[in-house]
Order: sequence, then C-alpha cells, then structure tokens
Amino acid sequence: MRAVIGAVGVVVGLFGAWFLLTRQDLDQLVGAATWLVVGVVLHDGVLAGATLLLGAVALRLLPRAARAPAVVAFVVLGSVTLLAVPVLGRFGERSDNATLLDRDYTAGWLVLALLTVAAVVVASVLRSRRATRRGPLR
Amino acid sequence: MVRRAGRAVKVPTEADFPSRLRSAAVTARVGMWLGICFTICFATGLISHYAQNHSQPIPFPTSPSWGYRVTQGLHVITGTASVPLLLVKLWTVYPRLFVRPPKGLRKLLLEVLERGSIAVLVAGAIFQLASGLANSSQWYPWSFSFRATHYAIAWITIGALLVHIAVKLPIIRGALTSDVEDTTYDRPTATRPGVLSRRGLLRTTWVAAGVAVLATAGSTVPILRKVSVFGVRSGDGPAGIPINKSAAAAKVAPAAMSGDYRFSVAYGDEERSFTRDELLAMEQRTETLPIACVEGWSASGTWSGVRVRDLLDLVGGPSGSDVLVVSLQESGPYRETVLQGNFADDDRTLLALALEGEPLALDHGYPARLIAPNRPGVLQTKWVTRLEVSA
Repeated sequence: MRAVIGAVGVVVGLFGAWFLLTRQDLDQLVGAATWLVVGVVLHDGVLAGATLLLGAVALRLLPRAARAPAVVAFVVLGSVTLLAVPVLGRFGERSDNATLLDRDYTAGWLVLALLTVAAVVVASVLRSRRATRRGPLR
Repeated sequence: MVRRAGRAVKVPTEADFPSRLRSAAVTARVGMWLGICFTICFATGLISHYAQNHSQPIPFPTSPSWGYRVTQGLHVITGTASVPLLLVKLWTVYPRLFVRPPKGLRKLLLEVLERGSIAVLVAGAIFQLASGLANSSQWYPWSFSFRATHYAIAWITIGALLVHIAVKLPIIRGALTSDVEDTTYDRPTATRPGVLSRRGLLRTTWVAAGVAVLATAGSTVPILRKVSVFGVRSGDGPAGIPINKSAAAAKVAPAAMSGDYRFSVAYGDEERSFTRDELLAMEQRTETLPIACVEGWSASGTWSGVRVRDLLDLVGGPSGSDVLVVSLQESGPYRETVLQGNFADDDRTLLALALEGEPLALDHGYPARLIAPNRPGVLQTKWVTRLEVSA
C-alpha cells in the first residue's frame, strides 16, 4: 500500500518536473528556481525566526491571563496579514482599471486588527477575573 | 540561542523546542485538512488548465454554466485557506529541521531521500500559495510563465505530498486514531505545556483558515462582499460587473469606437460582414451567464446579443466545428482564441452587444464580445471583429 502510494507520488512528481523543464527557456527556469528557494528561506529563516523572537518577547511582557488570547490573535491576524500582502501593497494596481483592487485594504486591515486586539483584551480580562475567583492560573 | 554578539551563533538542536504543541498529533490533524485543501486545489487547477487548452480531445462541458465559476472559486478559496494551515503545520514540525543526521551510510541515504522529498514539498507548497495569491491580485513579480510553472509545480507538489504520506502513513494513522493529547508520537524532549492546549491550537488554526476565507471570498461569493475586506474586487464595475483587462490596456479604443468597425463571419469562401447596427437588427437573445476569471473572481450578468450559432448558420458553418474568434487587440496571447465546437453550438453562446439592458461598455468589449457558458473568463473574448469557422 505505502509502496504503491510512494511510487505513484514519484511518477506524478517526475511528470511535473519534466513539464517544468521542457516548456520554458533557461532564464524563466532560473526565475522559478529562485522563487522556490527564496520561499523556503523566507519561511524557515525569516518568518520562523521572527515568530520565535516575538514569542519570547511576548512571554516576558504579557500578563499570564493575556498569553493564550495573544497567541490566538497572533495566529489569526498574522497568517491573514501575510496572505493579504499582495492587496495591502496594491502591487497589481492599474490606473486604467478602477474595478481591480477597489477597496481600502489598509482600513480593512485596521478594522480587523482592532477587532482582534479588542477580543484579546476582553478575553484577558475575563480570564484574569476567573483566575482571581478560583485561584491563580496554572 | 544567540550566545554573545560577535561570536558564532549556535545552531539549535531539536531539544531547543520543548513545547508539547509541536507534536505529530497536531501535525497530522492540520495536515489532513491541508491535504484536503491541496487536493481540491489540484483537481480544480487541472480543470482550469484543461478548460484553457485549445485542443480538447474530451470536450469541456458547456453545462452547468456556473461550473467554472464554482471550480475556480474553490481553487482560490482552498488555496487561501491553506495559508494558515501550512504555517501552523510547518510550525509544529520546525524542530525536525534541526535533527542531526544519523550515522551509517544506509540510514543517512534514507534520511537524505526523505528530507529531499520534504524540501520539494515545502518549497512547492510555499511557491504555489505565494504565486497563486500574487496572481489573483494581478501582481506578476516574476519572469517565468505563470500558467506553465504553476501547473508543473502543482504536479511536483502533489507528487511530493504522496511520497510524504507514504513515508508517514503509520504515524498519520496512529495519530489520527488516538486522542490529540496522546504522546506516543511526540519527540522525547517535547514535554513543556504550551500557552494553549493542543485542542486550543487546532481551534485557533480552523478560526484562522475561516477568517482567511471570509476576508477574501467576497470576490466570488456575492453575500460575502461586505465582510471580505481583502477581496481583490468589490464586485463593482460598469453594469455591475468588474473588468479584467481594460480597453486602454488592450489598446483597442480607437478601433472599437471607429465608424469603420465591421463584424465578419466566415467559412471557407463564404463570408458576411455587418455593422453593429445590423447586428442589433438581427434576432436578439438574452442569457444570464457568469464571467468567471482564472484569478478566482466571478460575477453573473444578463447579456443580450446574437446567438453565435445563428451567425455561423449564415455562412453554412457545419455544427461541431471549432471557431476562431478574432479580437480587435493588435497583440497579446488572447487576440485570437479557439471556440470549441460544442461551445459554438450551445444555444446560450452569444455575440453579446448589451449587458444588463445597456449597450456594452467599452471595457466590457464594445462593440461586441463573446459570452459562453462554463468558460474561463480569459477566453470570453472582448472587442470581437471576426468569427472564422475552421474548415
């Protein structure tokens, strides 16, 4: 069973590699390879490192009751912000097409961020009150 | 981990990541949903790729008319939902990046092969999501052909995913059939309780994926328009339909507005030519059909114009023949497109002259455009000047 899945995977992957290498010239392939490598480096090097650093700082600064809400907020707002980079930067904007990227994305982000921060504050206060009633949080 | 400024940075080991949230029990659960999203992305991507091929040995169906709208909408929605899923999944397995290589040639070779397949999978997954998101906002910061590369790397990524599943199958099965707090598959050093529980982290991940979808899907799901603050399009435009390529970008305005504009239809030596007024004097049909773009946005419109089959009949074009559609655009890959026989023969396929009861806007393809059911938007050719039935 596993051998079959693995073998099918290899064949499927090799078809993709053959297709990739036979349809474009060398400059284009170098461009694609650069993107493939840079993506991994940006994630494993920059993004993962920044997350570790931010986590260490937040752990020192935040009161105990705020930590869990802050992690939830970070995962939600962080990942959604990352996937919104193309629209937030408006890189594809064109002066001849008003129907493309026709929202105020910065305002949208601010609303989302404010809602998230408000949720963190509310959840932290609730958790802290519950903790004082029942004794310290674990 | 960073010891002292100016001295070498110590490479972390697995043991430097003691959180028990970084567990296979979490990885397998997030991975399952990521696998489902990638599978939907792959299947809908294949459909989209095939729909854009000139030659279709198996005719791409013309019904349901909203089929491509749904598959391409799903393609972009599942791709978007995959971003939080992939990030959390990679976070849970990040310590494995720092596992020291095993001793012994055979073990080392196996490790190299497995890590190689993981490297391909991670690079492919990040590439597909990043390039897809950029493309959906019409941002093209690359030199390669998007369609060919996104298609090829989709096959590579799915291949690497299958290899990954084959390698990890016992762990996946074990982790998914036991409780999420079970520690059977944990790294021995991963024992420190996290800020969240494992269930808490999983719920957070599902919420993040849900927010990602709600924040973007309004470009194709009309009821979400108000909440999709990161939607690439609000859905506004001339006659309530957005535009992908403007007349200015296609450099067609002078030819399209000229009194010399003629539309012609030809089959062999037989050829007929019409002004726009003459087209308007012919029997007009009205169809409600969506425009659904490869970028994932879509909108439904009510189009009126002359049925393409009626035009082809004027020159005796046999049914089933492919039709070359020629636009006023002077250049570009979509100046000429092939309308496959089954699309040309469908009663709903129109040479549209009006949208929502108003004359077609220049940016929507004035004087005349093609609109067919279940067809990628990029092939709904605008500023049409000629239909040529293949002999």
